[in-house]
Order: sequence, then C-alpha cells, then structure tokens
Amino acid sequence: MNEGLQDGPAIEARGLVKRYGDEVVAVDGLDLSVPANRIYGLLGPNGAGKTTTISILTTLLEPTGGEAKVLGLDVVKQAGDVRQRVGVTFQEMVLDDELTGRQVLDYHGRLYRIGKAERKAKTEELLALVELREAAERKAKTYSGGMKRRLELARALMTTPEVLFLDEPTLGLDPQTRARIWDYLRALKEEGGMTLLLTTHYMNEAEELADTVGIIDRGKLVVEGAPQELIEQMGADTIHVIGDGERDAFVEKVRTLPFVQTVDVGRTVIQVGVDSGSKRLVEIVSQATGNAFEIEDITVSKPSLGDVFLKYTGRRLRDTDSPQTQHRMLLMS
Amino acid sequence: MAATATLWSKQMRKFLASPEEMFGLLIQPILWVVLFGVGMKSMLSAGMPGGGEPYVAFMLPGIVVLSALSGAIGGGSVWLTERLRGIVKEYLVAPIPRLSILMGNALSTMTKSMFQAIIVLVVGVILGARLSPNPVGWLGGLVLVAGFGLGFSGIALSMASQTDNPGAYHAMIMVLNLPLLFLSNALYPLATMPTWMRIGSLLNPATYTIDGLRQMMFRDPSALAGGDPLPLWLCWGAVLAFAALGMWLAYAAFRKSIK
Repeated sequence: MNEGLQDGPAIEARGLVKRYGDEVVAVDGLDLSVPANRIYGLLGPNGAGKTTTISILTTLLEPTGGEAKVLGLDVVKQAGDVRQRVGVTFQEMVLDDELTGRQVLDYHGRLYRIGKAERKAKTEELLALVELREAAERKAKTYSGGMKRRLELARALMTTPEVLFLDEPTLGLDPQTRARIWDYLRALKEEGGMTLLLTTHYMNEAEELADTVGIIDRGKLVVEGAPQELIEQMGADTIHVIGDGERDAFVEKVRTLPFVQTVDVGRTVIQVGVDSGSKRLVEIVSQATGNAFEIEDITVSKPSLGDVFLKYTGRRLRDTDSPQTQHRMLLMS
Repeated sequence: MAATATLWSKQMRKFLASPEEMFGLLIQPILWVVLFGVGMKSMLSAGMPGGGEPYVAFMLPGIVVLSALSGAIGGGSVWLTERLRGIVKEYLVAPIPRLSILMGNALSTMTKSMFQAIIVLVVGVILGARLSPNPVGWLGGLVLVAGFGLGFSGIALSMASQTDNPGAYHAMIMVLNLPLLFLSNALYPLATMPTWMRIGSLLNPATYTIDGLRQMMFRDPSALAGGDPLPLWLCWGAVLAFAALGMWLAYAAFRKSIK
C-alpha cells in the first residue's frame, strides 16, 4: 500500500475523451474525481459512456484525449502498475467456464503472482464470502447467472485490489441475487481500504450503495453529489405532469406559483417540485384549465434519483426494464 | 515467463479435463496413418518412393506436420472463442506481458502436437517404419516439429485476432492449410515433382520440417527423401525463421486488435 496516495483522489480523470473513428464519441471530456475508500456510482443510460470510461481506467483502452490517473498512476504511461493494483468485473460474464470455481480463482491469483499458500487462503476466504463453497468443485458452466456473478466478484477480489471497478454488477440478475451482491459490496466497504467505482443504470442500486453518484450522459458528467443531497434539491415532493397542448404557457404559470420549488421540462414529462404533493395537486391541475393544455397523466411521488436524472438529462432513465430487455441490451452493447 | 506458464497450464488442464477433445486429438493422426498409409502402401509397388522403406515411413513426417497444423488451427479457434467471450480481457487487465498471453496459447498447442507426434511415430513403428537408432535425432525431430507448430500457431492466432467470425476464420485458415500439406514433400518426394511444384514446395516451411524429420528420425534418409536431402542446417534455419515470423505476425495482429 502506498501511504502517500491517501491524500489524493483514488481515481481522477481530466477532460477524458474516447472517439471511435470520426463519428462516435463515447466519452466526451469527462472529469471525474473519486476520493479514496468511497463507493462512487456512475449512473447513466446504455450508451452513456460508462463502460468505455471503465475500460480506460482499467487500461483496456487508451483514451483519445485527456488524462486519467488511478492511485496517482497514469493509466497509459504506468499501465502495468495500475493493473497490479486494481480489480474489475466486466459488464458481460467473463468466465472460463470449463474450469471449476476454485480453479478460476486459483488461476487468477497465479496470473498476479500470488504465492501458493496465500492463494489457497484467499480462495477459501472468498468462496465463503460469496457463498460458493459447496459449488467450488463444479465447473462454472453449471452455475446459475447469479453464481457466476458472485464468482466473478470473488475473482476480482482475489488480488486484494485497492480500487475495484464493477461494470453493471447486477445486470440481468433477479432481485434476491442483486440484494445479496449489494450485501457483499457493503461488507467490503465496512472492511475499508478499498475504493469502489461501479456503473449502473439502476437508480436504486446507486441510491443503496453509493456515497457519491455521478450522472453521466452522452459521455459527459452532468451532475455529481451524495444521493440524498441530489434528491433533496428536487423539493419535498415531485409532481409529474404529462399532457398535450400549450406546454410552455402552462409551465410559465406553474413557475409563478409561490409553493413551487423547481420546474424541469423534459421531452414528455414536466416535473414540478413542491412543498407538499397532495396539497398542491389540485392547484397545479387548475393551472391547466385556463390554458390550451390538457393533462393526460399526473402523479405525485417522493423524488428519487430518477427524477434527478430526468432533471439533468431531459430524459427518463428506464430503471424498470424487464430482464428480457436488459438481456437484449447487453447483447447489443 | 510465469504468466506464460500459468496460461499454458490452464489450457492443458482444460484439455486433460475434456475426454472428447483428447480422444479427437489422439484418434485423428492414428486414422491418417492407418487409413491413408495402409491404402497407399497397397497401391504403390515396393521400392517406390521409399526405396526399400515402406511408404508408411515416408509419409509419417507428413502426418506429424499435418497434426501440428490441425493443432494450430484448434489453438486459433480457442483464441477466437476467448476473444469473443471476453476472456482475453481478464488477461489484458492483469499485470502480465502481452506476448505471454499469446505464448501461453501457442505453447499449449505445441504440447498437444508433441503428444500427437509421439503417437503417430508409435503407430508408424507398429506398421513397419524403422526409426533412426539415435535418440538425439528423435528429440531433435520433436523440437523441429515444435518450431513449425509455433510458427503456424502464430499464423492461426494472427488470423483469429483479425476476425470476429468463426466461419471466416476457418475458411481463411483452410485456404492456407491445403497448400501447406499438398504443396510440400509430405506425400510425394521433391525429386519427382514438376518444377513449379518443387519451387512452391521449397517456399513452404512444412517441406523443411518434413525433410529435417526424415533425416533426424528415420533410417536411410536419402532413400526416404527420394533424392538428395536438403541440408540439415537449412531445415533448422527455415523452421526457426518461420517460428519467429509466425509469432511476430500474431503479436502484431493482437496489438492492433486491442488498440
């Protein structure tokens, strides 16, 4: 462990750019600073540049522009040192599934030149942590999706990384398995000594786990903060209005109401932050009657990170996707 | 070195844990020797082209080389699968030299080719081929085959690094595979070939491997070669140069694929 690095951020990116050819800009001037020993959640829709960012930070891809440092080490010039000290799980399942669970962990440790005794101890410890002891002698191809994910997590932890990158760690998993993975990650945080950067497009995952959330859209960081702070900015309650007609006139009138704290106009949804949703609902509706604006749908809710996302990107982040659509997206990405 | 050994050991363990793959790998060269060798022998009258030696002895080095070829194609397939399934990313984020990743694959392919070569020779001897009395020659022969296997593994790995389509990979590699076998001295002696074919064969690293094998491993090599054998130093030089070229091609293609 390098004590000197405790002061600086564990992960730092400045003006990071990744272009593919002339057309595609996957990361577009990303600035990122993750303090040590924290969990940072990079939240964004598919195609926002999350995976590309992780690929650059883990030295898999070289950036087109800008620079990135992990533990104070340049990811291009000191790639070898970065590799030695970070761990990663990829978005898709990456397992040599002809090997048994124990062999997967053991070979991974050997690649990092961990001594035999330490490898053995670590393997046992991690198999216990991710509750795969009983399946350890079975080939990984017989594992369920959740078991494979847990094995991948254990593999990433084999080398006791100082920074752990998790790209969509619970994508496509059932709710129970997701909750279990969250438990492991929380336990890791409790233990300390490790910085975690995870990407997700599940709002609740970011809310549950992250100390800091960064919302990334079209390759840029649009807003950053503790989940609760971001949510509190939205007002006590949020009223979502969907309607047809003179939207602008309606929005103008709503803005002038004294109890309205924020108004964010998305492509389809207008979000109004108010002091008390149930009390103000009628007054909001009444603003529409005088205008050529017809309300089709109106709901009141406690604000969530989803509302924060909508506010900053103008788009909804679908966090209620069925596992099937997620799977399709995974295949397409 | 350590990383190469680790990746080699992983591939070997997977191989030893797969009875189907072992069976296929061992049976294929035996079938070649028995079916092709025996068939040809009954067709050819004694004394040609082996000059007193049975045809089986003449064609054994060719079968050894052919096995090394198919082994290398299999190694390329493994590599393509690992690339497509993202397993290569696990190697790439590890603090290991890039070349060691390729070497792990190529050396495991070579190891399998050694097994095959030994089986081919044993079956050949059972069928009447006579080996040279000098065990150093046998060892030299195996090293020569390993060099050839390394070179062709490199070519297969470079092709498997340049495509994302297993069908395209197999189509491309078969185009190379056929002339490497038939445009060589594997099945017929250089001396009896038409000139254009002899020129083609002399450009083929398989020819030097096979000629070197005949000289080091078998009795009465000049008769087996059906004329004057190629100088042994030239055989070694050509095969080692081919091994280096193959691995360089693989490395260059791999570097390009991870940019």
